[in-house]
Amino acid sequence: MDRRKFLSRGGTALLTFYLGGCAEELTPGQARERGVPLQVLSAAEVATLDALGETLLPGSAAAGLSHFIDHQLGAPRSEQLLMIKYLGLDPPFDGFYRSGLAGLDGAARAAHGSAFAALAEELRRELVAAVAQSDPPGWSGPPAPLFYFVTRNDSLDVVYGTREGIEGLGIPYMAHILPPSRWGA
Amino acid sequence: MSVAGEKFDAVVVGSGAAGSAMAARLAAGGKRVAILEAGPARENSDLISSGIWARRLKWHGEPVEEAGDNPVGHVFNAGFGVGGAALHHFAVWPRLHPTDFRVRSDHDRGLDWPLDYADLAPYYDQVQAQSGISGDADQEIWRPSGAPYPMKPVPVFAQAEILARGFEARGLTTAPLPLAVTSEPYQGRPPCIWDGWCDAGCPIGALANPLTIDLPKATAAGAILETDATVTRVLTDGSGERATGVEYVDATGSRQVAYADVVVLAAFAVQNPRLLLASATDRHPNGLANSSGHVGRYTMTHPAGLIYGLFDEETRCWQGAFGGQLLNQDGYPKDTHAEAGAFGSYQWMIAQAVKPNDLLGIGTTRPDLFGADLHGFMRRAARGFASMTAVVEDLAVATNAVTLSDRRDRFGVPLARVTHTTAPESRALWLAVLEQGKAIFEAAGAKEVWTGPQGAMHIMGGTIMGDDPKTSVTNGYGQTHDLPNLVIAGPGLFPSSGGVNPTFTVHALAARSAAHLLEHWGELTP
Repeated sequence: MDRRKFLSRGGTALLTFYLGGCAEELTPGQARERGVPLQVLSAAEVATLDALGETLLPGSAAAGLSHFIDHQLGAPRSEQLLMIKYLGLDPPFDGFYRSGLAGLDGAARAAHGSAFAALAEELRRELVAAVAQSDPPGWSGPPAPLFYFVTRNDSLDVVYGTREGIEGLGIPYMAHILPPSRWGA
Repeated sequence: MSVAGEKFDAVVVGSGAAGSAMAARLAAGGKRVAILEAGPARENSDLISSGIWARRLKWHGEPVEEAGDNPVGHVFNAGFGVGGAALHHFAVWPRLHPTDFRVRSDHDRGLDWPLDYADLAPYYDQVQAQSGISGDADQEIWRPSGAPYPMKPVPVFAQAEILARGFEARGLTTAPLPLAVTSEPYQGRPPCIWDGWCDAGCPIGALANPLTIDLPKATAAGAILETDATVTRVLTDGSGERATGVEYVDATGSRQVAYADVVVLAAFAVQNPRLLLASATDRHPNGLANSSGHVGRYTMTHPAGLIYGLFDEETRCWQGAFGGQLLNQDGYPKDTHAEAGAFGSYQWMIAQAVKPNDLLGIGTTRPDLFGADLHGFMRRAARGFASMTAVVEDLAVATNAVTLSDRRDRFGVPLARVTHTTAPESRALWLAVLEQGKAIFEAAGAKEVWTGPQGAMHIMGGTIMGDDPKTSVTNGYGQTHDLPNLVIAGPGLFPSSGGVNPTFTVHALAARSAAHLLEHWGELTP
């Protein structure tokens, strides 16, 4: 995608999704709305992830948190845009997310006898607060605070990392202007 | 364009700041130059203003293992693709100080350089004129001698004005931050629009990155760039006293060779020592250029001191350059916080432009908040957030090192393993600096002040220069002691980190090295 095309779309984080065998460039939120099939995560994992996202940053599920992560986990390494890549962990990252989501469900079952997505909002908040500090009882997978940090930042990405999200805070997006001639060309 | 099987005057491994600078100068000096870049091709028009998209510019080559109490943050600090880490660097270009070159002599700790500030000063001036730096040399009262900046200082916006009050109240000085960013039209480049997207790369040529400055010069002078070309080994002749070229894997996965009279390794501070260690031969059983046993040693990364605050006033924190607007180097004397057991220099980069998300974004500064509290914080911060970052000296420690892992990459080369634990006196300095930073924010009127964890900023050392072949890897021009036509370029050469950003010094060293090589080329060829 060239810059002009990107800017004409208003800086929205468009990704290429496959729907009915055709490639379409959609925001993760649009992909969610249109029911784009998931590539990596299962429906149960997405239910947990959406519930976690809504607890971490309300609005992130609708903004397409699960489709964003699922898309990225299936992307070639050079195209991966998840912030987890900064944290010194080796790709691929699907195991990190899957085991973290399983850990969250395990902790929810240990504490309350049901999956995380089935918990009442207040119980979800309590469990996420615990996960932010240390591995709670029933947890397995990556260190719980690391999983919290990563998924919290993924939620920030989909909610506040786009032009709409930035401008929604009253911050001008200020993408670079297209230069009259490409420097050095 | 493939360079496979060809013979060049020089092969340069890596197209970041150091590699591009070396290639441009050697090509301009009439040498036939090939540049091998492991990552993809990039153009300025690829640089999209988005913190998420910008992650493509960070390292995504073969994994690097990290160990120690304070890992170097390789993926975040390194780059991948044409332009390397310099494509996403913040262009804060202060000079090292004279004291940084004689740490061992003056303080009986750390290491000395094999050159003085005076040796490097002409090259700082030369690079400054070519790349363009905005600043005010007179206001920068700490600045070592040198030519005035060629562009007026960067503008000061509300965030910097507010934080400057805190420095003034504490009896500290501020000056415009020296940035390799255009504050006015410069040599055909347009002025910056202060949009805070430096980390995503600058597509308009306002920021002096390799795509804008050195690579066009290199290719115009005939240098050939091959991308997606991963160098796997440095080749030597039968005597083991000369490098003869490099082996690499090209974009098709085929193993190729490029020959050269001079081989320049400019693949950054982790991959350079990895390549040397992985190129061991019978004559060099511990790795090339490693008769000292020092290849990989003295890896450094600046501990970053992160100060954040909320003000009642509107800070317009999204405006300006990613690196900041103002500078303070009152803490440059290495004994400033000696009473706290601290050692080293530091500087403040004041009033950085920020975006809401990403590792350095607003939301990440308060990882304790989530849910409705996080939304509320984001709304308050969008109006009144401010930040500054201390670049804290990292004392060189021999055990902080790049070594080879037991694991291998897809080409059979052992992976790099980087071990780093901050020296106690550097950690003490970081802690003391945080206290000062909080006091400055409070003096500026912040309603809330908090700090971040110890960040890892820049990677240096690992192939240090020095006078003694027994205790260093290269001489003062980057030529390895063991194989003089095998040259290292980049921050890996630094024997000390100083308390400033390294890229300007990387350029100055490359300019000095290239001039020396061109002058002595006859001694390098068989």
